[in-house]
Amino acid sequence: MKFSYRWLAELVPGLADDSPGPLELARLITMKTAECEGVEPASHLDLHGLAPDYIIDIDNKSLTHRPDLWGHIGMAREVAAITGGSLVDPVKVSLLPTGQPEIRVRIADHELCPRYSALVMEGVQVDLSPVWLQNRLESIGINAINNIVDVTNLILAELPQPMHAFDADKLTGDTIHVRLARRHERLRALNGETYDLTEEDLVIADASGPVALAGVIGGAETAISEGSRRVVLESANFNAARVRLTSARLKLRTDASVRFEKALDPENTVRGLARAVELFQEVCPSARPVGGFADDRGVLRPVGPILLPVNFVSRKLGTRVTLQRVVAILRALGFTVSEPQAETLIVTVPSWRATKDISLRDDLVEEIGRMIGYNEIPPVAPKVSCVVPPANPMRLFLRSVRQQLASQGFTEVYNYSFVNEAEAERFSLSISEHIAIRNPIGSELTHLRRSLLPGLFKNIVDNVRHSPAFRIFEVGQEIHGNASSLPNEITRGAAAIYDAHGDEQDFFELKRVLECVFPSSCLSAAEARPFEHPTRTAYIHWRGTVIGRIFELHPLLLQREGVEGRAVLFETDLDLAQRLTASRLLRYTPVRKYPTSGFDLSVISDIRMPADKIQDALAQLAGSHLASIEFIRQYDGPPLLPGQKSVSYHIEAGALDHTLSAEEVAEIRNQIIEGMRGRGFELRV
Amino acid sequence: MLDAKLEELRRATLAGFASAVSLEQLEESRVAALGRKGTLAQISKEFGKLRPEERAQLGKLLNSVKQDLESDYGDKKRGFEQAELAHRLANEWIDVTLPARGVRVGSLHPITQLQSEIEDLFTSLGFAILYGPEVETEEHNFDALNIPATHPARDMQDTFWLSDGNLLRTHTSPVQVRGMRELKPPLRMIAPGRVFRNEEVDASHEHTFYQLEGMMVDREVSIANLIYFMKILLSSIFKRDAIVRLRPGYFPFVEPGFELDIHCLICDGAGCPVCKQSGWVELLPCGLVHPNVLRMSDIDPEEWSGFAFGLGLTRLAMMRYGIDDIRQLQGGDLRFLTQF
Repeated sequence: MKFSYRWLAELVPGLADDSPGPLELARLITMKTAECEGVEPASHLDLHGLAPDYIIDIDNKSLTHRPDLWGHIGMAREVAAITGGSLVDPVKVSLLPTGQPEIRVRIADHELCPRYSALVMEGVQVDLSPVWLQNRLESIGINAINNIVDVTNLILAELPQPMHAFDADKLTGDTIHVRLARRHERLRALNGETYDLTEEDLVIADASGPVALAGVIGGAETAISEGSRRVVLESANFNAARVRLTSARLKLRTDASVRFEKALDPENTVRGLARAVELFQEVCPSARPVGGFADDRGVLRPVGPILLPVNFVSRKLGTRVTLQRVVAILRALGFTVSEPQAETLIVTVPSWRATKDISLRDDLVEEIGRMIGYNEIPPVAPKVSCVVPPANPMRLFLRSVRQQLASQGFTEVYNYSFVNEAEAERFSLSISEHIAIRNPIGSELTHLRRSLLPGLFKNIVDNVRHSPAFRIFEVGQEIHGNASSLPNEITRGAAAIYDAHGDEQDFFELKRVLECVFPSSCLSAAEARPFEHPTRTAYIHWRGTVIGRIFELHPLLLQREGVEGRAVLFETDLDLAQRLTASRLLRYTPVRKYPTSGFDLSVISDIRMPADKIQDALAQLAGSHLASIEFIRQYDGPPLLPGQKSVSYHIEAGALDHTLSAEEVAEIRNQIIEGMRGRGFELRV
Repeated sequence: MLDAKLEELRRATLAGFASAVSLEQLEESRVAALGRKGTLAQISKEFGKLRPEERAQLGKLLNSVKQDLESDYGDKKRGFEQAELAHRLANEWIDVTLPARGVRVGSLHPITQLQSEIEDLFTSLGFAILYGPEVETEEHNFDALNIPATHPARDMQDTFWLSDGNLLRTHTSPVQVRGMRELKPPLRMIAPGRVFRNEEVDASHEHTFYQLEGMMVDREVSIANLIYFMKILLSSIFKRDAIVRLRPGYFPFVEPGFELDIHCLICDGAGCPVCKQSGWVELLPCGLVHPNVLRMSDIDPEEWSGFAFGLGLTRLAMMRYGIDDIRQLQGGDLRFLTQF
């Protein structure tokens, strides 16, 4: 919303060119009322003041709750309160004609249209507006059109009261109806578009059908034109939610609709008509009102007086405020404040703040707080009980996972939560199983990720240009659709080692990293998914549960992107893994008092026999005297037969209550050798 | 005659020790004199022929010669060993500036680092740390925060709507609602996390960014208390007095509501793309929890009051590290990420 400094100065006469001046005023408004986005010299000269003007641009978002600030009077009232000036009301209600209205108004539902006022003017001569009016509108970004429309727009930007002028001779019948549209009704609007209406849209209709979309836009058929002689001026108040609904559905936001959807002051309808009569005397002197004004209004429900104990204000602000200060601030902002009884004020909310904005004593605290200035409130430590906050074990777990990975050389990446069809399908995920975004930004970000892998893959492809080898990881949410209520979000930890000259050792390096993050985790071969290397894929087991997978990326995936080398990845379910850490109670095992004895064994097996199976068998056969077993090496080649391998282990055996004799050790060794032979293994002894 | 031989042995051997240039030569001289078949052993064999008085006298001499030789030998040997050690160590010189082998330490994302720091700070102040879901219901994200469907404030937050009827949370504020319903008052909590807005991406706008929500509900909570926590937070993060200003701001779930702006640390207030040339960056919308919001989470506003704030973690990270392009944070470029 753009405000003209000179226009504000007309409404607050104390405001001079240099005091406070546009820049300082903008700063004061930002600190006390609403956020100013900038101050610029106006595009047009202000002919009332015969001087250059300045435009103060206020962020619309900070006016969301303030319907009154969508017009210059509202902002002028703030400025008067901030600077200690006084406000001039430009409306002279006495100018309203009396008598029988020339037009009748019928409102079907006062909930949807609390008030509709209208006045017929005759002798109208449509012409260009005087330059001062054109300049004033153009300066704040409204196109000047003709004297009639410009008057309505000036009032829109001043009171703020959106108005509409119908060509009275193009209306059918003598009554204006405010009702919901009927099925199949259409309206050709002023912007040239034709809209199909629904039974949810509020319309202004004459005997022949809709002539305007209430609060949004007028119809083309009844619009004023050069030849118009009689006009019906509409000055109405519409239900904010209803205007918003229609405007959102038709994607049609107008200067009127953005104001109505903030819930405007119904008292302004007749004030708007009075202001129009006055302005017409200047910009269209031939025009005269015919009859009195029509005014159909429902029972307006004003906000009841608010009881405001002064100490409530002090308690909420956390600083002591005097009664005199509270009263002065509220009165400057237009509130009526009764004489206090026992430090409690009875505050009546002015109509322009009563539609939505202010209904609670907490709302009044804000008025006082902002006018005092929040920077004036000294910080105070709260007096609260000293308690240990509830634990968040996931937080500590994620932190340790991240730190482990970082210390093992991995760089953390954050990828978007979005995925598109091509990315999902590269990782064998059907796009139909993803939750779709109904209003995506572009064709690239259409669905929610069910896997971190597409993101990491993209990181690999993007970074190979700059680095021949790197390690990355991400901890993030995967979103899995769920028929009932919210989706299942899984916190996934995924990591990748990329090496342009990689070999199978990368797999074991990543396995080593896994063992740092999840101590004592182990792997078992898994059937590969299409994007995984068919013979280099495994489940990750930790504490008796499969928590994820580790695999080399299928070489074709990188090849297709023109990337050389290999990538090894793992992905783990961190929610699951965290639960496995939860109930662990560590117990100490006594350190051995007697020395152990060691010996090596080499087992010959089929080359694809998993080594951990061999190790398990050895350990089991060693029985209760096993102190430790450690892998030494694996060998294949002559003199072994093709398809065979030899795996060597070092075994330490010992007893808890004595030192094993040479005979006892030999017996354990023989027991293992014979046991292994019994299971079909050869031993090189 | 034997005494002359002993004296000669002493002289000759000491001369031999003295002229030895290596441990080997020293050893040769020692073996020749003191070895099992050495001169001294041969001389002592001749003792048998001597009379007892002569034997006692020559015995003394023999012992004295032997001691002298062994002692001198020991000194010389240690000298050679020390020289050899010194020589070896001198040759073990390494260039300590050569790079180490193995992988270099990686790095945590700047947002992770900042978030951890703030989590630790608030934990120490007795705040619980809650994580909420990224996909939220309309009820949690809007309605329970005093933003009904017809409210124009919904336009303030361009929302990604999902095919399952839910939405991507537009702020971390719904975690307030979860916190109030789960923890019950009195409560203190923060909730960091990823949030989403449906907007086009440029140097200062992202559709995905990070916030940190904070809330405290107790018997008497005031704006002065809120300001106190905000000052602690900012001085802890920036390790110096950050220049801030508080001004009114509208958020339907707080009343009164305000914005805390920080003096732009990228341009030092001179104006840059990050602060949209204003010199100030909006960092912290905050306020006292709206009575309706308390009521919707079954907390009686007559009995309890609270404050809430939403810290822009992304903005804060940009301020702290001088990042002038928000897209870097999720670009996955290691040349950027490895700097942290």
